[in-house]
Amino acid sequence: MKLAWRIVGLLVGAVFVFAGLTKIVDFQPFRFLDPMDFARDIDNYKILPWGICVALALYLPWLEVICGIALIFRRWYSGALTILFALLVVFIGASIAAKTRGIDITCGCFGHLSNQLSFAWHLALDFAIVAAVVALWWKRPDDRLATNP
Amino acid sequence: MRPLLRQSVLLLGLALLPAAVQALYFRDRISWESRIAESDMVSVDLARSWGTDAVWIDARPDVDFERDHVPEAILLNEDRWNELLPQFLQQRWSPEKKIVVYCSAESCNLAGDVARRLREEAKLPNQIRVLKGGWEEWLKTRK
Repeated sequence: MKLAWRIVGLLVGAVFVFAGLTKIVDFQPFRFLDPMDFARDIDNYKILPWGICVALALYLPWLEVICGIALIFRRWYSGALTILFALLVVFIGASIAAKTRGIDITCGCFGHLSNQLSFAWHLALDFAIVAAVVALWWKRPDDRLATNP
Repeated sequence: MRPLLRQSVLLLGLALLPAAVQALYFRDRISWESRIAESDMVSVDLARSWGTDAVWIDARPDVDFERDHVPEAILLNEDRWNELLPQFLQQRWSPEKKIVVYCSAESCNLAGDVARRLREEAKLPNQIRVLKGGWEEWLKTRK
């Protein structure tokens, strides 16, 4: 059973590393993506001022990557789960708020790949990840016993 | 509780470092005031100086274009993108000419969106710029 939870942790970590990287780099051909594109995706939610959208566009992808790596290597595990849970809750709330206001959004969660997913699929995926994060939190190792560099 | 807080603060802080490096790397592209990067915009004076080397695109709704527009500008908005883009490509587009896109004002997003679609969807190789201040700014300097 422990192995199964380990695999779930690896998968969730990999999803966040992938989600973050798709906003930072384009692999074919390799190049760094313009953060202004993701900033515009955030701005499309019509919640935050433009300057904050830019700051978040620079910061959030790296936060996802670093928390994803933390999950994969089980370092700062509880902290990573807490941050990712908070990110998911805020994102789901913002998505639903935008949809109810009739705003047609591209979430940008998985870079260009997001354009191929419908809103319903986005939500289903997000709720599945939230469920996995909550389950991982429940099954997490005791922080006092875990290795913390 | 304390390890959780410490871990969260460390992770939040750690993410700041690569974000700051990325901000430095893209310092010429990032605009903190506008959705459009400074390097993708052009002032009215400079755009005017291009004369016939530039094609002007009006990204505003049809009704605004019909009311008044920059002389020689062609209508290309997102409302009728699929209909107007082929017309623009057949009638006015030339690979050598610069493209100046404008909408109502500095705060409107239509010109930036049309410019981006011309680059990414239509894959035009031209130098495509958004008019700084838009139609309002152009009106102020109309001679």
